[in-house]
Amino acid sequence: MLRITGGKVYDPANQVHGEVRDVSISDGRIVSRIEGGRTIDATGMVVLPGGVDAHTHVAGAALNFARAMVPENQRQAVPFLHTPERRMGLGGLTPTTFATGYLYAGMGYTTVTEAAVPVLSAKHTHEELRDTPLLDKACLLLMANNEIVMDLLETGETERAGHVVAWLIWAAKTYGIKAVNPGGVAAWKWGKNAKGLFDPIEGYRNVTPARIISALAEIIDGLGLPHPLHLHANHLGMPGNVATTIETMKLLEGRRAHFAHLQFHAYGGDDWPTMRSEAAQVADYFNAHPGFTTDAGAILFGNAMTITADGPWQHLLHELTGKKWGNIDVENETGCGIVPYVYKRSSLVNAIQWAVGLELLLLIRDPWRIFLTTDHPNGAGFWRYPELVQLLMDRDYRRERLKALPAKAQKRIVLGDLDREYTLSEIVTITSAGPARALGLAQKGHLGVGADADVAIYDERPRGEALFKTPRYVIKGGEVVIEEGQVRAMTEGREFVVRPGFDPQIEDYLRPLFQQVYTMSFDNYPVEAERVHGMQVAECRVSA
Amino acid sequence: MITLTLKEEPSVPLEAENISPDVVASLGHDAIRALPVFLGKRRRRLDDFFEVEGAASDEISVRGNLRKVKWIGRNMTRGRIGVVGDVGMHLGSSMKGGVIDVTGNVSDWLGAEMRGGLIRIRGNAGGQVGAAYRGGLRGMNQGTILIEGSAGIEVGMRMRRGVIAVKGPVRDFAGLQMKGGTIFLLGGAEIRTGAWMTRGTIVSLKPISLLPTFTYACTYQPAFLRLYARHLATLGLSIPSGDGAYQRYTGDTSGLGKGEILVWESS
Amino acid sequence: MTCTLGEVKNRADFILYWGGNPAECHPRHFTKYTLTQKGKFVPQGRKGRYMVLVDIRETPSARAADLFLQIRPGKDFEVVTTMIALLKGRLVNRAAVEETGTTIEQLQELVDRMKRARFGVLFFGMGLSMTRGKHMNSASVLTLVTELNEFTKFVAMPMRGHGNVTGADMVIRWTTGYPFGVNLSRGYPRFNPGEFSTVDLLVRGDNDAALILGADPGATMPQPAIEHLKRIPTIVLDPKVTHTSRLSRVHITTAATGISAPGTVYRMDEVPLPLRPALQSPYPTDEEVLRRIRQAAAAKPPWTPASNGTPLSA
Repeated sequence: MLRITGGKVYDPANQVHGEVRDVSISDGRIVSRIEGGRTIDATGMVVLPGGVDAHTHVAGAALNFARAMVPENQRQAVPFLHTPERRMGLGGLTPTTFATGYLYAGMGYTTVTEAAVPVLSAKHTHEELRDTPLLDKACLLLMANNEIVMDLLETGETERAGHVVAWLIWAAKTYGIKAVNPGGVAAWKWGKNAKGLFDPIEGYRNVTPARIISALAEIIDGLGLPHPLHLHANHLGMPGNVATTIETMKLLEGRRAHFAHLQFHAYGGDDWPTMRSEAAQVADYFNAHPGFTTDAGAILFGNAMTITADGPWQHLLHELTGKKWGNIDVENETGCGIVPYVYKRSSLVNAIQWAVGLELLLLIRDPWRIFLTTDHPNGAGFWRYPELVQLLMDRDYRRERLKALPAKAQKRIVLGDLDREYTLSEIVTITSAGPARALGLAQKGHLGVGADADVAIYDERPRGEALFKTPRYVIKGGEVVIEEGQVRAMTEGREFVVRPGFDPQIEDYLRPLFQQVYTMSFDNYPVEAERVHGMQVAECRVSA
Repeated sequence: MITLTLKEEPSVPLEAENISPDVVASLGHDAIRALPVFLGKRRRRLDDFFEVEGAASDEISVRGNLRKVKWIGRNMTRGRIGVVGDVGMHLGSSMKGGVIDVTGNVSDWLGAEMRGGLIRIRGNAGGQVGAAYRGGLRGMNQGTILIEGSAGIEVGMRMRRGVIAVKGPVRDFAGLQMKGGTIFLLGGAEIRTGAWMTRGTIVSLKPISLLPTFTYACTYQPAFLRLYARHLATLGLSIPSGDGAYQRYTGDTSGLGKGEILVWESS
Repeated sequence: MTCTLGEVKNRADFILYWGGNPAECHPRHFTKYTLTQKGKFVPQGRKGRYMVLVDIRETPSARAADLFLQIRPGKDFEVVTTMIALLKGRLVNRAAVEETGTTIEQLQELVDRMKRARFGVLFFGMGLSMTRGKHMNSASVLTLVTELNEFTKFVAMPMRGHGNVTGADMVIRWTTGYPFGVNLSRGYPRFNPGEFSTVDLLVRGDNDAALILGADPGATMPQPAIEHLKRIPTIVLDPKVTHTSRLSRVHITTAATGISAPGTVYRMDEVPLPLRPALQSPYPTDEEVLRRIRQAAAAKPPWTPASNGTPLSA
């Protein structure tokens, strides 16, 4: 039992904006009152719900491949020394699993979404997540380049495709569906990419990226998954891709959808030299369509590690930069490309990218619909979120940083015209309450009675300067896991999964097909429940 | 002058990065004795393994069979370390200035990722002299390494600038992925010299085997070598410039191919 | 540039084995993954694929090959580097190429065939990765394959040794950040092959104890390494009494994973597979034994106060 007193509580989900009030915890949940137990005096501090990251890459085959690619980065990474309370590890852009937990919790985050899981290696992802302490997790399953599904869409068997998707979500023990460059990664199996949204994919006549997107959105709504289609749209990173982004949003009008790392999809211009920000256009459309959520995918200058299922884009990046390149194609399902990268303030393109992330965060009016991410580690390491918070809350600081950009870049962006400053409540919304709601995790992101007792307590600072950097206390499931910078407990965290309904006979369809195109026994494909540590099955809400 | 005499040979490698002028220059005698060294997983004191004489100097003499003592002179920027005996891996790693002089043999990773200064080895060296650590893009970037004896594999791997000169023979992959700088092989080399080099110069005074991706350019007497010869003479090494010429090979054609290997041919 | 084995089965029309003998060392490779299977996009099966074997001697695998290229021992790096140059249309030295046992024309033809493939795969075995040149031999084929992607789809994959070597690599990677040769003495992970890799440590005598699990260095390592293992306290966990057991201080018989103990194995393409034991064993699993050792060690006074580890940072 734990009581937090005297702190200014920010709980925007429950309309609490800095009121001094007690927070009482018992049995891992927020309760209205307790007798006895420990008291934390939070006078002079702010009390927030634990952070919820809507989109990050921290575990699984792609991450592990990346770790092997860069021993020189590992050598420079912050080491985590072994202590009785804490396992050893390495930080950096591809942190080891234990270090990932300590780094996130060390900022006050308590829930993360691993945004890209292939079915074939889902067991691996779950093993790594089990070794990621102090955090609850949810996984998104890669689906937009699944050839069994695409083949069904080719022959118009949408209903059967829906059963396959549902079966796969449960087989992989995941929480939602991730679509990456729909059709493009499948085309990359032959060294190609998807062309237009409405152009058939290599090897298909009826399957276009648009068809895949619409079908998946429809299937997800039909299954009543708590989180909508989580979409990494086509043409990521390319100048002029704003057209594809708007077209994609039009395609999904009337449906729920989550647009991942929108920053990478909001560019104008015809080529690299003429690239410019089109964040305003994207934000306008987005603001007018309330069914959508998004996460920023902002970049920060410095080192990054691009790790994405978007194989063809990564090959292009390798060719443009000459940097190391890794690629794994996963049979019948997806792939990944990895290129270490550095964002430079002096680069016109990078300067525009930096501005676009901030412009989207400032121009999208409703903080409940846009979330703070860097598509870690693609845009910047997640432990740099505090830098973004400062840029959002402090207009003068932002303007000063803006002046350091190349003059040419400043003419391609609108960031200088934007006056908005985020309030602390809004920051809490974009880092916790909003993501929790969009993910459908009703017990996360707030401090109302019944919520999971995930709480982060920080010294109150003017304008949130270095807000997340050093929490005084981090409480996870009612347990004080970090206190004054020290890890106190080795809590393992839980994993949220969904079990959507499907026709059990779909296995009769899948089994022989699977044996034909895969290379393992069908019985070895699904993830056994015992492998998912602390598995919590969330509800699907199928409407009548 | 601080003198450290090994009194007990470590059973497992001893990591002694604190034996460095930058560390000891401002320390008193007791503080030097108490400096941490790491014997495998255990933290010990310098005076558990060394007799310590002197204090507050940037000149250090280290004596004994130090073949299991690693990281001496790491990151040093000034002063002098004289080793009397053999010494272990990572000697002078990332050093930026000062002098290291060894009477005996050294192990692998001598002067790895060095940025400046002078290292002189009277005996033999191991592999990865002046090299980049695994995955690193750049090895030695400045400085001079002189080896009187032989050396192992990957001498000057990924070096970017600086000079390495070896009197005795070296093994495979000298100048592997070299980006710049100069390597003098006075005793020749085994195979795969200059593999995947993009830039830089390798000078061999003995005939060496070359990869198929090196092509003969010409035979001449390069002017810059006469300058180098004078510089190296001050360091005690002699390279010929009269009575013969150098065959020039360019490569590695599987990559950028702006490297050169000069092979001495006496007339 | 790699993929999972199903991609090979479904798409590969060009397969090159370099320095490996799958017919004897990976007996189901041809039939399950690479040659004889009818793939989704290679419905003709064997007839739709062209297989090349490159090795220093003709092994039984050569019988399955459409082309066997024999090269001289210790020349793999030269051959691959030449192929990279030829792929880029650069000059190479004829006499030096011929020293490898091949000709420029042979290698040019091979490179051209690789460029024309729809989906090529290069499998490389220990005949490449463990012979003179070692990691640079592996780097050379990986570079060749990366360069081939300018022209067509091409992937590479190592032919891993027996046991769960890939699994060990995976777990060590996600917990320490490095695949092997990891030193934890200073309280955090450090990596340096040649300094911390097993054979080098043993040959130099740099360790004063050894715990060996699922390996038999006493059968495969150089004599100085074996002598050292005899000198120091060596503990072996193995289902069988091995060569190493015979020179160890303690041998603990454990259940054979995959046969009488459950677990997870990672295939050579890093795909995880569950192991379901078919038989029972009277012996404890490796995991049980290690847990008990750890518990016993934990009961002793701690040797690492938090201040012991000091990072030897760059």
